[in-house]
Amino acid sequence: MKHSLRWLLVMTLVATLLLPSTSVFGESPYAGYIWNTRSDAPSLNGYVYKDSIDGFNLSSGPFKTPEDIFINDNDFIYIVDSGNNRIVLLDNRHQLVKVFGDEEGPGKLNKPKGVFVKSDGTLYVADTQNRRIAIFDHDGSFIREITAPTSPLLGSKFIFSPSKIVVDKRDYLIVANDGTTDGLLQIDSNGNFKGYFGANQVEFSWTRLFIRLFATDEQKAQLMSVRPQEFSNLYQDKEGFVWTTTLGTNYNQVKRLSAVGVDTYNPDWTKKVNRKRFGDVFSFGSFDISSFVDLTVDDKSVVSTIDLSTGKVFQYDKVRSLLFVFGGIGEQDGLFKTPVAIDQTSDGSLYIVDKTRGRVDRFRTTPFGDLVHKASALFVDGRYQEAKEPWRQVIELNSNYDLAYGAIAKSLEKEERWGEAMDYHKRSRSQYNYSKALKEYRKEWLREHFLFVFIGVIVGFLFIRIGIPLLRKALKRRLFKTVSPDATGAKGGIIE
Amino acid sequence: MNLLGNIRKVMFHPLDFFYDIQFEERAKWRHAIILLVMTVIVHMVIISWTGYSFEGRLPYQISVLFETFWILVPWITWCVSNWAVSAILEGEGRFKDIVVSAAYAMAPYIVLSIPLAIVSRVLTLDEKVSYYIFLYAILVWVALLFLIKVKTLHDFELGKMIWITFLTLIGMLIIWFVGFLVFGLINQVFDFIYGIVKEVQFRL
Repeated sequence: MKHSLRWLLVMTLVATLLLPSTSVFGESPYAGYIWNTRSDAPSLNGYVYKDSIDGFNLSSGPFKTPEDIFINDNDFIYIVDSGNNRIVLLDNRHQLVKVFGDEEGPGKLNKPKGVFVKSDGTLYVADTQNRRIAIFDHDGSFIREITAPTSPLLGSKFIFSPSKIVVDKRDYLIVANDGTTDGLLQIDSNGNFKGYFGANQVEFSWTRLFIRLFATDEQKAQLMSVRPQEFSNLYQDKEGFVWTTTLGTNYNQVKRLSAVGVDTYNPDWTKKVNRKRFGDVFSFGSFDISSFVDLTVDDKSVVSTIDLSTGKVFQYDKVRSLLFVFGGIGEQDGLFKTPVAIDQTSDGSLYIVDKTRGRVDRFRTTPFGDLVHKASALFVDGRYQEAKEPWRQVIELNSNYDLAYGAIAKSLEKEERWGEAMDYHKRSRSQYNYSKALKEYRKEWLREHFLFVFIGVIVGFLFIRIGIPLLRKALKRRLFKTVSPDATGAKGGIIE
Repeated sequence: MNLLGNIRKVMFHPLDFFYDIQFEERAKWRHAIILLVMTVIVHMVIISWTGYSFEGRLPYQISVLFETFWILVPWITWCVSNWAVSAILEGEGRFKDIVVSAAYAMAPYIVLSIPLAIVSRVLTLDEKVSYYIFLYAILVWVALLFLIKVKTLHDFELGKMIWITFLTLIGMLIIWFVGFLVFGLINQVFDFIYGIVKEVQFRL
């Protein structure tokens, strides 16, 4: 007995010595966390750093201030190598395929900031400093350019400085233009301006109305004119929706624009309850306003978006619930200096362009990340029952993941197990949903116990109408017998 | 038993009650302490018994010390401030009467909020209007008792009562301000002494 005890002790010692060295290996430089209803909580990481592409081992040489990345359906990677005035095409194993952008002539690029590739391989480059959009065919030869469109709508002070670009199914170019706040530019394939698309709206403000009412014309002229917020980036998903990120606001920074330019990701923004704060949410203390600069969307409408001010990537599902946060500002692998662009391959790896470091970092999903994605995909499709089991596994791995409790509660509601649903809603910290489940629970309870309740009500009524007066009488009679009447009858006085 | 009787009286005949309490040593410190302890206990109980629809905090998020502090400190400063203000401005109430009747003024809260908390467990947010009407009714009742208390104890006119109440509230703010100041200074003194001790230890 004594011997085996000592042996056990030695084994545990050995284990404690061995374990840390193995666990340190997989550690990422950022701590995983999640924003729950009321505060942030530690969570497991959904993405970890895998490797980087910096161009040093490519024959084309290292990247210099890369600005954008585009990954096509075959997982070929187009990197906008802005400092070297070219677009570098890599295949799915990160080997060099081709370089777009000529040394001389009309095909020479000047500080391009964005790229879009159509399915046939035609390449559209937002050639920012040349103030044009350059079009290359799939084998790299320059075809033509689209220069500044002219239109009375654009005004005389308009400067064409395209930074990001997508081409929709009608072959219209949708362009985010630096300094334009009226919306995205729609340009047809011949270079004609076809109107603005999906402009951000200006929020109503009482102070502004007040100033308008009382300021003189000269004072008004001195005021800074109120402009809608500027789009910082755009992305076209598989269904053809254009997703955008917006700067200079702290809510609804991510939008999905319908064909007519209406936001279909966020419900009616004019109602305060519908406003979702993307990014880190601090209700007190000093904090930076988040500035989302790029986003990518997978076929399940899971949005991954980069916040430049914290250097973090935030991932949201189709219904705007936060799934993962990773990254940050720093020196280590897995952190960034200036993350400016993001895209993803079909296996779910995220590629993030770090402009200052001049490299592209690849992040892969963790098993926990895959599990959450699986559960979330089923859940947002409304297949609550099937999603229940994966969500249970999520909770097993990470009990801080409040989203999972809410999802399980939804599936319990589908099974009409209201009592359990209430319990799970409470764990997910949703008073609103708890109350709704309680309502159904109450209804069902009343239906089941109707006879009991009915009799209870009758008995209670009889007791109040007949029982209490009788009791009172009996009590009074007894009191009058034992105590002298003047001790009890003193109304208004203090009973000692 | 007479505590229960008094609670009933203060709720339904407050004018008589606050008038009578001034005579024949009817105000008792014992009652004030019992009522205050009950207020604190009731407050704790309703926080944990109120349905989740209306009370979003979970037990681990509630600090007994914190909640108690925020009941007792305003209450005590009210008593002190009210006594001080009314003593200057021709009020007739004695300190003991003020304290004991202020404790009795909490009676509606002690008696009614627990039933409300129990009922709130079966209420949903659709019925939140009725819940909040009841909740605020209790609080208004307590506030009214405080006002009636000021009026009757000190034998004031209505206008003067409002004026005194206003001054009492200002007095409370001043007390808190001074309290913060003293707290800060004492902190500094302790820091100073601690620093000296550290320094001496280091030199020796």
